[in-house]
Parts: sequence; structure tokens; C-alpha cells
Amino acid sequence: MTAYPVDAVAAEESAGGPRLECRDLAGGRGSTVVFRDLDLDVQAGSVLALLGPNGAGKSTLLLTIAGLLPYKAGRVAVEGEALRTGNPVAASRAGVVLVPDNRSLFTTLSVEENLEVARRRGGPAPRSLLDVFPALERRWGLPAGALSGGEQQMLAMARALIQQPKVLLVDEMSMGLAPLVVETLFDTVRQIARDHGAAVVLVEQHVQLALGVADEAAVLNRGHVVLRGAAADLARDSTRLERAYLGELAPTP
Amino acid sequence: MDHIASLMLGLGNGGVFAALALALVITYRASGVVNFATGAIALYVAYTYAGLRRGELLVPIPGLPKTVDLGQELGLWAAGAIALALAAVLGALLYVVVFRPLRDAPPLAKAVASLGVLVVIQGVLAIRQGTNPVTVAPIFPNDRWELGEVLILSDRFYLALTVVGLAALLAAAFRFTRFGLLTRATAETQTGAYVSGVSPDRIALLNWMISAVIAGVAGILIAPVSPLTPVTYTLFVVPALAAAVVGRFQYLLPVVAAGIAIGMLQSEALRLAAEYDWLPQTGLAELVPLIVILVALLVVGGGMPVRGGLVRQPLGRAPRPRSLLVPSAVGTAVGLLALVATSGTWRAAVIGTFIAAVIGLSLVVVTGYAGQVSLAQLALAGTAAFSLSYFTQSWDVPFPFAPILAALVATCIGVAVGLPALRLRGLTLGVVTLALAYAIEAVWFRNADIVPSSGARVTQPSMFGIDLGIGAGRSFPRIEFGLVCLVTLVVVAVGIASLRRSALGSAMLAVRANERSAAAAGINVVRVKVLAFALASFIAGLGGALLAYRRGVVTFDSFTAIGGLALLSTAYLAGITSVWGGLNAGLLAGTGIVFVALDRWVDLGQWFTVISGVLLIVTLITNPEGLAAAGHEMADRFARWRERRRPAPEPGDRVPAVAPVEAVEPVVGAALHIDHLTVRYGGVVAVNDVSLGAHSGTIVGLIGPNGAGKTSVIDAVTGFAPSSGSVDLAGRRLDGLPPHARVRAGVGRTFQSLELYDDLSVAENVSVAALGGRRTDRTSAVERALEGVGIAHLHDRPAGQLSQGERQLVSIARACVAEPRVLLLDEPAAGLDGEESTWLGERLRDIRDAGTAMLLVDHDVNLVLSVCDHVYVLDFGAVIAEGPPEAIRSDRAVAAAYLGVMHDATAVTA
Repeated sequence: MTAYPVDAVAAEESAGGPRLECRDLAGGRGSTVVFRDLDLDVQAGSVLALLGPNGAGKSTLLLTIAGLLPYKAGRVAVEGEALRTGNPVAASRAGVVLVPDNRSLFTTLSVEENLEVARRRGGPAPRSLLDVFPALERRWGLPAGALSGGEQQMLAMARALIQQPKVLLVDEMSMGLAPLVVETLFDTVRQIARDHGAAVVLVEQHVQLALGVADEAAVLNRGHVVLRGAAADLARDSTRLERAYLGELAPTP
Repeated sequence: MDHIASLMLGLGNGGVFAALALALVITYRASGVVNFATGAIALYVAYTYAGLRRGELLVPIPGLPKTVDLGQELGLWAAGAIALALAAVLGALLYVVVFRPLRDAPPLAKAVASLGVLVVIQGVLAIRQGTNPVTVAPIFPNDRWELGEVLILSDRFYLALTVVGLAALLAAAFRFTRFGLLTRATAETQTGAYVSGVSPDRIALLNWMISAVIAGVAGILIAPVSPLTPVTYTLFVVPALAAAVVGRFQYLLPVVAAGIAIGMLQSEALRLAAEYDWLPQTGLAELVPLIVILVALLVVGGGMPVRGGLVRQPLGRAPRPRSLLVPSAVGTAVGLLALVATSGTWRAAVIGTFIAAVIGLSLVVVTGYAGQVSLAQLALAGTAAFSLSYFTQSWDVPFPFAPILAALVATCIGVAVGLPALRLRGLTLGVVTLALAYAIEAVWFRNADIVPSSGARVTQPSMFGIDLGIGAGRSFPRIEFGLVCLVTLVVVAVGIASLRRSALGSAMLAVRANERSAAAAGINVVRVKVLAFALASFIAGLGGALLAYRRGVVTFDSFTAIGGLALLSTAYLAGITSVWGGLNAGLLAGTGIVFVALDRWVDLGQWFTVISGVLLIVTLITNPEGLAAAGHEMADRFARWRERRRPAPEPGDRVPAVAPVEAVEPVVGAALHIDHLTVRYGGVVAVNDVSLGAHSGTIVGLIGPNGAGKTSVIDAVTGFAPSSGSVDLAGRRLDGLPPHARVRAGVGRTFQSLELYDDLSVAENVSVAALGGRRTDRTSAVERALEGVGIAHLHDRPAGQLSQGERQLVSIARACVAEPRVLLLDEPAAGLDGEESTWLGERLRDIRDAGTAMLLVDHDVNLVLSVCDHVYVLDFGAVIAEGPPEAIRSDRAVAAAYLGVMHDATAVTA
């Protein structure tokens, strides 16, 4: 069984410039503009926690970066190359992989088949993902719909990993899951960034857990970044965080 | 033994139906399109194959020579391979040119597009190849086998065997190849495909090509057995659709078994008809698909699977007529002028236009307003026409009772057949009505036992001694008959325009837009759909009666199934969502003025249907409203010009002065009590033993992290999710009641996705949910609701033009108009900024002060804590805290769960 390959990219740090860059990005659903003038940078191998109350635009932002929603203004770039608006296939080819909040698994297909669908030519085989998620072994041939919530989330992450993402976007991974399972998943996210050099954006409701695994954090409220900084700093300053959530902080320039 | 023999005889046709059904299922699974043109694709490939066997390559493009001589006749395999390769090209072409652009269009638009393709392919081939049957050399050996006493024709057997083998091959491919895996994946969720790095587009393209090749195989296999004519092959799609329905448009092997069974049953039906005199001598075989579909729908239940959808285009505006008097007067005057100023063929064309417009208007009601595809309008018109002959000739029923009676016959047949399909969502009615049209034409209209071969005579109408008939010879067509048609048209048109302005009309549009939220607004969806179809059948019946009078002798060729398809496509092109569109359809119809003009002046008569088919496809892709859109644009511009001369209230007015709210009787003691509510979805517990209460005149807040179960609580209370535990409103248990019944009991709700009808004005959106029999009651309820929420100034604005905040308020007004005792609000502040949500808070307090009990779910913690009297906090489906806002704000456990600020990652609890 071939072990899951440690990405060679991790070794060469990105020579200048962030892995993922959003500049003056504006987007939304239909005719509603949910976020505007948004700037975001994520370096390869680092984890950015994207926090904030719902309705702030976090999920919409991830969908926009992944090309599933078109952006109305601004620019999204991966390693300096701009992505075309509203083109999920191009984004995927550029190495952007999204794990949506509803996971969007193929519930009638087995665990192995779910991974097989996402397998890339020359990429790792489905079985190699068992190195990262050994718990999936027991469920290998079962339809994804029969898995528990935690197992489904693991499968969704494995399906993202098998594509060897350059940019990994994770939307609300902990939703509805028990704390122990969530811990394991967060550890894996850390591992992915560190060992495989992916730039990770983590949208999360469980603030402290997210801050524990992230390098940087940003709080989004009503479509604007209202707080940004090193995760460790924000973790210590819970009052500022609460104020950011309750909408008491003005957008940071 | 005889039975077995006749069943075996049906193996040939059965195999073809099975193959076509396979093709149908493949395109449906890959792109959500019910491809009515599958039979037409088989037709094209069959013709191409036949030509290649004779050494000619068929060229279907108008303007170029019909065939290209290849110099030598090709053998079976060469001809077959080339023909199938061309089939693949055709499939790819159809996907790229027609169905990929329609990817996000509503299923109705996609189905109509496939009808357009059918009309074009069949029309082009009929014109260029003629309708004489073409014979083809046999493919399989033509032996007669004897099994005991049973005689089996070997070529039929081999045909069925080939198809079964093909199906097994396909099933294996879909199960074991990567392509099959990707197809199965994409069929379930497009988003899942995208995030797995798969392009659903490419998968759909390949599937379309495969589907076309399979349809081509069907065509080639049946060509030696069944003489090749355009109409027959195109209509093979009807039994194929029946087989696909049995397999739920999903499972390959059941679909194949059903197709073969239908073929065998048809053959048996033919034998039974020959044996038993009391059975209809023709058409029994054509009845089989209809019966199979109805039985399958009743037994199997659920309709066709619908894919996880993406963004959808609107269907086309159905503008509300501003006034009825002026357009009716002008229209009548124009009609009169047209009648008087013309004579001979032209006047006949004017009369033809009137009649076709009546039938077109029937489509406006059922398809344009209620969003249901009906392919049987022409057939229903035919039932009225033939019934009219019977009533006037055998029973001497006088005019005007005879045509009305005839129209009622059409209504009864329509409703009886449509009822099983109308209970379901999706395109099932389209499939059922096509099977109905197909069956009726064979069983009744072409039946020599019922209808004399020279046609059914109709006694010309007369009233009070005045001859109203169309006349003959030099007096044809008489203006009196023209007047009868004009009067009928005006009455029907005014009636439909009034329908649009009525509550039933708004309900129909709501059902068309979204059946689920229509149910949440208290609309009885099945009842509305049945009414729409009944009304449409009646109007089509009137049209049919007029047609019968016009022709004097009724024959089947006015009312064929194919003719009905052409009618739908012309009507859709003309604009099916408004009266103006229905009138357009009259102009464009085969008996109408435009056709006659084109035929006379440009000699395009034959190509008329093909051209309209092409125009239809183009229109669908660029503008779902059809040609009537141009008329609507002009009317809109005119109205805006008029408005500019009157000062209108500033739309930017964010905080308008709120008009004093009319005091509503406070409903004292009306309280909502939820006890031990539990909601399970599969193995997941979304709501875990939740108990809470909301009293009248209070606002209760429900907060919690995403996935905590807040929307599930609302879904359970309003009847959209099954639950255990009790829901009690003012002493009355609501468990077990369907959504619209709970609305009537006094429960109102909004949806996170708002689900407004962009086509309708604000007032109409709200009135959809207004209960009450009298128009004045409903109007004043709407006014009160709009004022209570502070948006009275937006009364006539189309909902599609509002800002997010305004849309939220319309949604709340709609929930308020039925004067609910308890109002459940699901994220009403979503998308609002600080200023707007403050304003929203004030409006909510106004509503509370009027006596309604309210349950407010929102993520805007500020709003909730400032507006609510009592707050419950949910996490993982259970209540973890409750109390007044100040207590909740300072409760650290709440902060831990909701804000996650103090959650300690190392404290591991089970």
C-alpha cells in the first residue's frame, strides 16, 4: 500500500507572494452583494481561521473562491495566477478544493467510490488516504449515506486531500459533531498544512478550537473584515472577539 | 397458447421501446431533461442507415441536395457504424447547442426545448424524405420457430435479445467503469462533482452522445420490421416514456423489462381486439402505454427524481393586467374590423386565428399560470369536437348548449386522466397527457366504428332562427360565424385576464414558482392544479367545438398527437404566460393569419412548423417569455412614462413614517406550546426533546450555532418535517395536520430563503396567503399587513426589484396577512445591515404589540437580545439555556456554546 505522499511543495516555501490572494473582492448570491472590497492573503503551509456570525458572508466567500459563485468585482489569484469568475472547473485545476458545509458526498456511492471519483491522474490511490484517516477502513465498502456524521466529515476531508490541493477551503467542519471527533479533524487540518504545504482557510463556529489550530485569524462581520491578527493573540483577547461578533467593531481598513 | 404467440410477436416493438426508454433514462439522469425527441433521433438514424444501405448519404440540411451518392451500397456493419457515428454527432450537437445553455432553466423549459427539437427533426425529415414508407433489408434471419404449438418469429426474438444484451452492457459499464462512476456521482449532486474536480458538463455531453447512439440502435433495429415513416417513429417515444415511468427514470434493467412488456402487451391487445367484438377495433394497442403509466403512478407513487438543483431562471413574467376595459374594447374593435374588411380565404384565416387563440389561451391557464405541461390540449379539443357531432346529430341539442356540453366532456376526460399526475410534482402531467393524446387519437378519432370514415358531421349552429354557421360555396365564410368566434374569444380572454387578477390566479403563479412554499402560504396545491387543468380542458373544448363548426365535418387530422406538440411549441414561442401571448399563439397557428400570409406570399407553408420549432429553441435559450416579451416591454415602458409624471414615493426611503396600525383584536391567551419535540432525519437527531412556549403579545427568541436545530423546530411546528412530541396552539393539537391546514389554524412562518414570487407585485405576493372568501376581505387584509410592516408604499412594486431588507419585510407581511396567532420568523434579519435591522426590530415590536405571539430565530444576537422578551438557546438539538435577554447575555455556558469563546479544547466530554 503506497503511503500518502508528502508533498514536495512543502519543502520549497512559496518564493514571494501568498499561495491564495483575494484583492478588493466583491461577491454575493444572485443580485445581493454579501461582501465588498475584501482582501485576504494566505501563505502556503499556513492555516487562516475565518470567523464571524452567520450572514457575515463566510460561506459565500468560500464558494466564490472555489468558483461555484461568480464574483462581481476584484480578483482571486492562486500563486499569482488569477482565476476566472464563476468557473469551478478552472479553480479545481488550479488546485483549489472546497469541502462544503453540507459535505456534498455521493451518498449512494461507497466510501471507496467517493474517493475514486476525486482521484487525479498520477495522484494518490484511494487506499493511501487510510494513512491519514484509518477509521474509514471499517466502512470502506459501505454507501456514504450510512456513515455517521464524523465519518462523513472524514470522508469529505479525504476526498479533498486525494486531489492534493494547493488551497484547501473548509466550511464549518465541526458542525453537529462531537468534541472528540472535532479534535481529530482539526489535528488533521494542521497536519495537511504542515506536511503538504496547502494554504488552508478554515471557516468555523467553534472559535477557540479554530484558534488553537490556526496561524492567523480574521473575523468577518456583515461582509467586512473587522478583526485580523495572529491566532495566538486573538485567543488571549476574548473581549475583542466578542465585540467583533456582536458587530461593535468597525471594519478594518 | 395463442396468448403466448401474440405476446412473442410483440418482442420486436418491445425491444425498440426498451432501447428508446434506455436512451430516455440516460439523458434524464445526466441532465434532468425528459427528451421527447428521442424517437425523432431514432428516426433520423434509421433514415440515414437506410440510405447508406442503398449507397446514399442523407443530407438533412435545407438548401443542400437531399442525398450524396456514395458510389456503392454499404453492408450492414459499415452502414450501421457510420449511422451510429452520425447519431453521436447529433447527440453532441443537441447538448452543446440546446441543452447546455438551458442547464439552469426550469424543467418545463427543458421539456419544451426537447419538443422543439422533435418538431424540427421530424419536420425536416418529413419534408425532405416525404412520407412514403421506406423499406430496409432485414438484419436478423427471418425464421419461424415452433415451440410446441407456439410460433415465434426469430427476427423479433433476436431484436429483443440484442436490446437486452445492450442494456446489460450499459448497466455493467455504469457500474464498473470510471465514466459510469462519474455519471452516477454527477446524477446525485452537481456541487459534489465540482468539489471532486469533475466537470458535470463533460459527463453530460458524453451521456447525450451515448443516449443518441442507443436511440439510433433502436431505429436501425426496427427499420426492417416496421415501415419507416416520420410520424410512427417519432411517436415510439410514447411507449418508451411509459417504460421509463415504470423505472422511475432511474433504473436501467426495470426500464428495459417494462419496455419489452409494453411491446408484448400491445401485441396481445391487438389480438384481443380481433377476437372480442366489444373491444375497440383500433387503438387498443395505443391505450396500453397510457394504462401502464396511470397504473405505475398509482402503484409506485412518487414521481421522477429531481436532482440537487442550482440557481434557476425565472419562467417568464406573467404581468398583471392593469385594466380590462380598454384592452377588451380595443381588441374587440380590431377583431370586428378584421372580419368586416376581409373576405374569402383571408376572412377564413381571421376566423382560424380566433379559434386557435382560444385553444392557445387554454395553454396559458394550465402551463403559463400553473406551470404544468399539458400536451393534450388539442386532443381534448378533439374530444369536444367529436362529442359535438354526436350531440348535434344524434340528440339535436341546440346551440349554445351543445358546444358547452361538449366542452364539459373534454373537462371530465381531462381531469379524470390528469388527477393521478397532478398529485405529483415535476413533468409527470406532460408524460401522461402525451400518452392520452396518443391513445385518444387511435381509440376514438381514427376508430372507424365510432367515426364514419368520411368524418363526423356537425349541425351548423343557429340561434333564434338566425343562421350562425360558416356557410358554404359563395357565402363561405359567413360573418355571423366569425362573430360567434370573436365573442367566444373575447369572453375567454377577459375571463383569463380576470383570473390573473384574482386570488386563484395568484395561487396558480405561486404554485408554478414553488410548490413547497405555496403550501406553506396555505394554498392547497393539488386543488389549484386540478382547477387549472379543468379550466384549461374546458376552454380547449370550446375551441374544439368552434373548430368543428368551422369545418362542418370533423376528422382526426385536426387533432393529432403530433399536432398537439406543434401547438404547445407554437404557443410557448408566442408567449404562454399572458393573455397577450395566447392571442399571439392564435396569430402564429397553422390556421392563423401569419401562416396563411407566409404560405401565400413566400411559399413557406411546409416549412412553417420547422421554422417555429427553431425559433422556439432560440427563444427558450435567450428569453423564457417568448415573443410576448416585446409586448410586455412596451407596456412597461409606457407605464413607467406615465408614472414619471406622477410623483412617486422615494424608493431609497429607508425609515419611512409608519402609518398608524389598525387595531387588530388581540388574541388573548393564544399561546404556542411545544412539548418534547423530537425531529429525526434518518439517523441524525436534529431536534432533541425540546419544550418551549410563546404567549400572545410576546416575542420569544431561539438562538444557537449553525446546525443546532433551530430551522428544524420551525419546520416541525409548521408541518414540513415529521416529528414526535406535541405542538399545541391555544389548546388545539396541530400534530399530523398538513402545512396548509396549520396555516388555517393560525400558524404563520417565513423561510430563510424568503421564497417570494419575483413575477408578482408586493401586494400579490402577500395576497397569495390571504384567506377569506370575499375579495374585499382579502384586499383589506393585505392593506393591513402591508401597513403593519411599514411597506404600504411598495404595494405595486414587482418583488424582483426590491432590496434585501424590503424583501424580508414582504415575506413577513405575507406571513402576517392571514392574521396568525403565532408567527415563526426564520432569520428575518439575514442580509440586513445595522440600520435596517434596527428598523426591523421596531417593526417586530409593532407586530407583537398588536397581539401576535412570535418565535424569532436569528443569528443577529444583538437584534435577538434587544427585541425578545424571552430567549431559548439550542445546541446539538437540545435547549441548553433559557431566560430573559440580560441573563442570556451574561450566561457563560451560552457564550461557550454559541460564541465558542470559552470552550476549552482539552475538556473532552462524551
